[in-house]
Amino acid sequence: MTGREDAVLTLSEVHKSYRAPGLFGTAVIPALRGVSFELVRGEVAGLLGLNGAGKTTIMKLATGLLFPGSGSISVFGMPPSDMRAKKRVGYLPELPYFYPSSTAAESLRYYAGLSGLGGAELDRRVSEVIEKVGLSPHARKKASEFSKGMMQRLGIAQAVVHDPDLLILDEPVSGLDPLAIHDIRVLISELNGSGKTVFLSSHSISELEKLSGRVFIMVQGALVRTVERREWESSSGGLEGIFVNTVKGGGPGGA
Amino acid sequence: MSHLLTALKVAGHSFAENYRSRFFALFLVFAGVLIYSSLLAGVMAVDEEARVITDFGLALMELITLAYALMASASAITREMETKTIYLVLSRPVSRPAYLAGRAAALYAVLASMLAVMALIHLSLLWVRGLAPAPMYLKAVAFIWCKLAVITSAALFISLFSTSAVSTVVIAAILWTLGHFTAEARFLASRSTGAAAVLLSTASLVIPDLQLFNARDLASSVPAPAGPAFLAAYLLLWLVVPYLFSLLLFRKKEF
Amino acid sequence: MKKYPDLYLALFSAVVLCLAGRWAFLGTRSPFPPPDSIREVRRSAVGDAIALSLGLRRLAADVWFIRLMQYYGAPSPESAEAGAGPQEYGAGAYPEFLPMARHILALDPYFTNAALFSAGSLAFNMNRPEEAVAFLEDAMSFAPREWKYATLLSAIGYSKAKDPRKVAETITPLLNEPDCPVMLRQLGAFLNKKAGDYAAAYRIYGDILATSKDPFYVDNARREMEKLAPLLRAPL
Repeated sequence: MTGREDAVLTLSEVHKSYRAPGLFGTAVIPALRGVSFELVRGEVAGLLGLNGAGKTTIMKLATGLLFPGSGSISVFGMPPSDMRAKKRVGYLPELPYFYPSSTAAESLRYYAGLSGLGGAELDRRVSEVIEKVGLSPHARKKASEFSKGMMQRLGIAQAVVHDPDLLILDEPVSGLDPLAIHDIRVLISELNGSGKTVFLSSHSISELEKLSGRVFIMVQGALVRTVERREWESSSGGLEGIFVNTVKGGGPGGA
Repeated sequence: MSHLLTALKVAGHSFAENYRSRFFALFLVFAGVLIYSSLLAGVMAVDEEARVITDFGLALMELITLAYALMASASAITREMETKTIYLVLSRPVSRPAYLAGRAAALYAVLASMLAVMALIHLSLLWVRGLAPAPMYLKAVAFIWCKLAVITSAALFISLFSTSAVSTVVIAAILWTLGHFTAEARFLASRSTGAAAVLLSTASLVIPDLQLFNARDLASSVPAPAGPAFLAAYLLLWLVVPYLFSLLLFRKKEF
Repeated sequence: MKKYPDLYLALFSAVVLCLAGRWAFLGTRSPFPPPDSIREVRRSAVGDAIALSLGLRRLAADVWFIRLMQYYGAPSPESAEAGAGPQEYGAGAYPEFLPMARHILALDPYFTNAALFSAGSLAFNMNRPEEAVAFLEDAMSFAPREWKYATLLSAIGYSKAKDPRKVAETITPLLNEPDCPVMLRQLGAFLNKKAGDYAAAYRIYGDILATSKDPFYVDNARREMEKLAPLLRAPL
């Protein structure tokens, strides 16, 4: 890794394993094997891989929800658990879940408050973001009454409400209808256009193609290939072809 | 200071969530019904009606709030982990100590408000019957809260390493009963020898002496078993020590 | 220490807590009698254990007091079997009365009114003054400064000496207490009437009528006041 000054997220030889209790002992399941990459300011990078490839693990490591077994991770040059780093990160987990008895507005106000906003600025940002994600008609509805799509919109809203510099989005368009997917895609593009760095994972290759400048392909916990936009645009099979060949081609081989 | 503010925000939100819970409302309705049913016992006690209604009411308040305290503290953090609402909190600039302190503070506040509401219901019953509350009434209610705060603190700690909410409730309930047996344990220790005496004496180190806060069981004329300074310090220790050990476990938790 | 400040802080505070717990264990004296003073009465063992384990001694004592009054409020089965007629003012065998009374006191030694009620009933209704004295002496072991016990002991002494006027005079301070058991007030009224102090008797019966909720004593007070009114030319 170059340790560039404009590096937003840096992973260096990160290993991570999970312990699974079994009948005759504890099994150690490797989730990440020596993953290294760097995100630079202002880019949109995608993370692509089969289920269990380690995508969510990387995202959780970047947000301090998981700790690496070995290696190092830095967010804006700081450990992920540093409060100053967290203040600049907006995270959307896969299948976000909200407190069922809180309304959308109440939830956003809570999360905005936890992110350091307060007073008039908090009110303004919450209103803006609710409008932006298309939840204005549902702002006073309880989360328990939300559809999957509305829940996802609210998830994105809480990720952006504090105007973070880095967005980590785990499956942002999962389970959404085509119109909602379009809206989310436009929103992500706008956010990137205003200087935000976006790091997103998806099973939808077409979405990654439309949004990302480069894509990291994960296979069984290893980062096996980094594909630039110009590469898949010039390839006959596109990103899909490259992905399938990479996955079928074998395991860990480096970027 | 910012950690304290964060803890207060977490506490405020958790308190509101508890209040909106149907469970909470059911408890209060149930409490109201039971407290008024102590009228029957008061009638049977004839001229000791004031004492009997007071004792029944205070005992019911304590037991009902205890049931809620055990269930709420057993699931306060584990539920957030299971439903993943904790992701959206801990991925933000919320330190784990602040989060834990906020959740604990919310529980203490909920218990205080439950006791306050039930005390009002109870006092209304006494007023309807033309009876005055006993001189030790407020002290008894305050000390009930102290006992519940101690067991809640312990239950929160237990919930972080126990395998289920049910086992947490069971262990905490056992601790509650053992906490009232300290005088008997002292008596048995004085009459035992060898391992039994050692075991009983050692138990005094790790089991909270809830009898110290059992003002409800003592007449106003009986001096408290310990002075207010010691009681305050003991209460504080029993809130802080489980919290610190909870923090040791919680810091290492991955989500 | 620098590497694991949380751990050292937790351990240090745990040591302080253990020391505090040890001090509380060794240094504080339980205000209640030891558990071996609680004798089982009417299969009370399980209930007593639950009461102790949940810190509900006072409530358990209340429940047993209600049971005692229900037991004493019904005719003594032993007397009924022996063919004796209706017992007035609680006279009768009532063999379980004293064990139940002791049980109440073992659970809550500060239940003064229950102790006074029990001792008074034993001494003045059931004519068992020795048992009443022994019972009161047990009660005083936990509340040595309780003047009401000493007062009642003196009254029992005068009763044994067959001096009703002295008994009435001795228990008057007890009767003036707002929470004095109605049974003792009834006794005071009866003794004053017997000694010829109708005004005092009338006043006490009036107090019973105004404050007691026990229908037996209220009805009796009303009847007695009707009888005393002409003697005093006082309004009913």
